[in-house]
Amino acid sequence: MTRLVQAEFGKLFSTKLWLWLLLGAFGLTALAVSLTIGFNGQPNNPTPLLSTPEGQRNLFSSAGASSIFALILGIIAVTGEFRHQTVTPTFLATPHRGRVVIAKLAGYSVTGVGYGLATIALAIAIALPWTSAKGIDLSLSDNGIPAVLVGVAASVAVYSLLGVGVGALVRNQIAAVVGALVYLFVVEGIVSAVPVIRDYYKWFPGGANAALTGTFQPGADLLEPWQGGLLLVGYGLLFAGLGTWLTVRRDVT
Amino acid sequence: MEDESGRIVVSGLTKTFGVVKAVDDLSFTVEPGTVTGFLGPNGAGKTTTLRCVLGLVTPTSGRTAIGGQPYAALPTPPKTVGALLEASSFHPARTARNHLRVYCTVSGIPKRRADEVLELVGLTSAANRKVKGFSMGMRQRLGLATALLGDPKVLILDEPANGLDPEGIQWLRQFLRHLAEDGRTILVSSHMLNEVEQTVDHVVIINRGTLVRQGRLADLADHHGHAVLVQSPDTDKLATALEGRAEITRLPEGGLRITGPTAAEVGHVAFTEQVELHELSTEKSDLEQIFFALTGDTGEVGHFGDVEGGAA
Repeated sequence: MTRLVQAEFGKLFSTKLWLWLLLGAFGLTALAVSLTIGFNGQPNNPTPLLSTPEGQRNLFSSAGASSIFALILGIIAVTGEFRHQTVTPTFLATPHRGRVVIAKLAGYSVTGVGYGLATIALAIAIALPWTSAKGIDLSLSDNGIPAVLVGVAASVAVYSLLGVGVGALVRNQIAAVVGALVYLFVVEGIVSAVPVIRDYYKWFPGGANAALTGTFQPGADLLEPWQGGLLLVGYGLLFAGLGTWLTVRRDVT
Repeated sequence: MEDESGRIVVSGLTKTFGVVKAVDDLSFTVEPGTVTGFLGPNGAGKTTTLRCVLGLVTPTSGRTAIGGQPYAALPTPPKTVGALLEASSFHPARTARNHLRVYCTVSGIPKRRADEVLELVGLTSAANRKVKGFSMGMRQRLGLATALLGDPKVLILDEPANGLDPEGIQWLRQFLRHLAEDGRTILVSSHMLNEVEQTVDHVVIINRGTLVRQGRLADLADHHGHAVLVQSPDTDKLATALEGRAEITRLPEGGLRITGPTAAEVGHVAFTEQVELHELSTEKSDLEQIFFALTGDTGEVGHFGDVEGGAA
């Protein structure tokens, strides 16, 4: 099993996909943090002021937006094997296909943690000097910020695992990536807004992620951060299990 | 035990895709240490059979085994069986060496083996190049290199000559012969007998998912009989003399094609009957024609006499 996880890292770092997606995550994080600071206190900006604890937490949880790139990384980890037919030598070397999926879940969770830590580091590197220049007193150890930082890193890691699950379930790469993006940006948006079903929003992946990262969502009823994290892991494992059962074990022709 | 280890057994294999029966109750055995051509026209079920043997496709019914075990039960499959299937199973952005190293890691094979197999297939100079720039021939070589990573006793190659230029096919023949000399069991599929007939000593011929013939390549030719070709200014006299002892066909270009007696016997009859002979030769059966006859790919069943020279 260790060898299988090592091999997943071998696959990951022998192409540049991880780097491009990490740069994408950096770009989105930089954008989110910059916008939050830049528009701080502007008229009609509904987000809480950076001088408040709530505002400071929101600043760092905005870095969680980059988890979308971790999700794509996880999806491509599985679907890429089918797309380039490397699944043939992979399954020839490991005929028990569930083990391949488990190795990917493990390897990409670790990679996701790396993405998450890198993302946080960037958010801090942008936020601290900028807020200090603005004369805002921002401490990383106060106001519940440590919990948010851990939540963001966990969210990015779990999204990577979730991606592996989605990829195992939908092995067509374009369908999986487009489907996941449409779901997160369209379906979740509707769920969180429509009165009748928004009560259930907290049980959806997006709601669970919002809980985990402490995203500022006025009026939204969310789970505790750790509950949200566990729920997301559960989704990832559920998709991976279903995918292994329904999709991955299908004939490779 | 050692002797058993390379045997490939397919028994009662059936695979249905929807309403299409790709393989229909197919049984055959490949003995350890032999080089076997797995032949049949396109769509005969060769690829499906090989993928069943390799555990990539689940049979509808029946069993396959390598060394007495199903593929998935082998401890480290690539160390027992090497396989070359579709033309390209590589990530285009990964280099040849890194591709091989990934599979070294998976199977616990030392990483230096990647360079060894690259050298073996003549790709050393392309080791650090991304696969997307590889020609078809280079991809097939890299596929073979992947198959050889675990130094397996058994090699299963699906249409390895597909897409190769004549030079590549020549190289492949020599390479397979070289691998066979190491005593490996090789099962190589092809829809063209002449691609593999210089390499294989056994054949398994299938058509429409069922077995047509299995045996030694030499027996395949023998089974269809050798004919004696005779050119003579007095063919009628010879034909009369041989009547009842041989089956005689008059060739359009003038000679006789005689099946039954050997060339020596025909020569003896000609000598005693004082028939002048201009040519007396044994026609070698053209394997390609036999193959077509067996698989019903052409309507020319039994038209061996039309083949000029017939050198196989």
